[in-house]
Amino acid sequence: MAKTYDYLFKLLLIGDSGVGKTCVLFRFSEDAFNTTFISTIGIDFKIRTIELDGKKIKLQIWDTAGQERFRTITTAYYRGAMGIMLVYDITNEKSFENIKNWIRNIEENASADVEKMLLGNKCELNEKRQVTKERGEQLAIEYGIKFMETSAKASIRVEEAFFTLARDIKTKMEKKLEASNPPKGGQRLQPFDPPRKPPSWLSRCSLL
Amino acid sequence: MTSQELGPIPKVSTICSLEEQVKDGKNRHLVKCQRCPSKILNPGMAVYKQVEFPLPYMKKKSDASNSTEEEVVKDYWVVDDMYHFENVGFSNTISGIKYLACADCEVGPIGWFDIAAKTSYVALSRVLHGHG
Repeated sequence: MAKTYDYLFKLLLIGDSGVGKTCVLFRFSEDAFNTTFISTIGIDFKIRTIELDGKKIKLQIWDTAGQERFRTITTAYYRGAMGIMLVYDITNEKSFENIKNWIRNIEENASADVEKMLLGNKCELNEKRQVTKERGEQLAIEYGIKFMETSAKASIRVEEAFFTLARDIKTKMEKKLEASNPPKGGQRLQPFDPPRKPPSWLSRCSLL
Repeated sequence: MTSQELGPIPKVSTICSLEEQVKDGKNRHLVKCQRCPSKILNPGMAVYKQVEFPLPYMKKKSDASNSTEEEVVKDYWVVDDMYHFENVGFSNTISGIKYLACADCEVGPIGWFDIAAKTSYVALSRVLHGHG
């Protein structure tokens, strides 16, 4: 069958338990359908399709599924990850402080050029806020990553956050591709140009 | 199950609705979640196949019974590449398979995933078929 997408990105959701990582993935309702069966066994990963600048992008999104309770996530989980959503809860100071630990864990285990983004979730609970928006912004600047406050419950900016992360990964990939395959008119180093890779090359970033 | 929301033929018997839903062996319409607006498969992305496979019920039949209750489902959309899905969730592995759920509301199981064959099966009776 013909290829039905242009890019495939593996994304991870990382952060302390209870910050709402799972809820970040519900688009149309605030809570999951309470099926005894599915909620008992748990979701391993999800596939989401988005469209960015006319390109169809498949996102494979993994939740840590409770591994985070042990405060460490194994290298296997990070393998092949191209983007990481670091999530904390604005009403939980500890979850914000732990972001630094999560970033260290990522640096030790994930690929060095993984795209990261910081999300301050539950921003609908402003009256219970323990972490100011400014502190979130400051931390993001410190690590040179993007930041957004989101509310999975009120569907505020969650989708935008995924689009932003996906766009950053796409831009990075296109840059890499351009660097390894300069556009026509560039310096000719070889008597014969090697065959130009077809655009479908990008789909080879597949992970499974 | 709710009635077929679109399509000229009311879903009375399986034969009628199958003819309406299968085109050249594939799904004629969009496949959507029964409970929320999530789009699961685009038209033409899955092949119709009859396979007998037991799926646990999406809802508990009664409080007295336990959650292992299941029914044998026969009509499936077969998807040979998981990236042919628009949106879907894969459960953790249980007895060598993964169950499929709606990516947005997690209603399920709407089908199952054969890990060894990398093939997904979406139960026709657990999704909606529509035009948009």
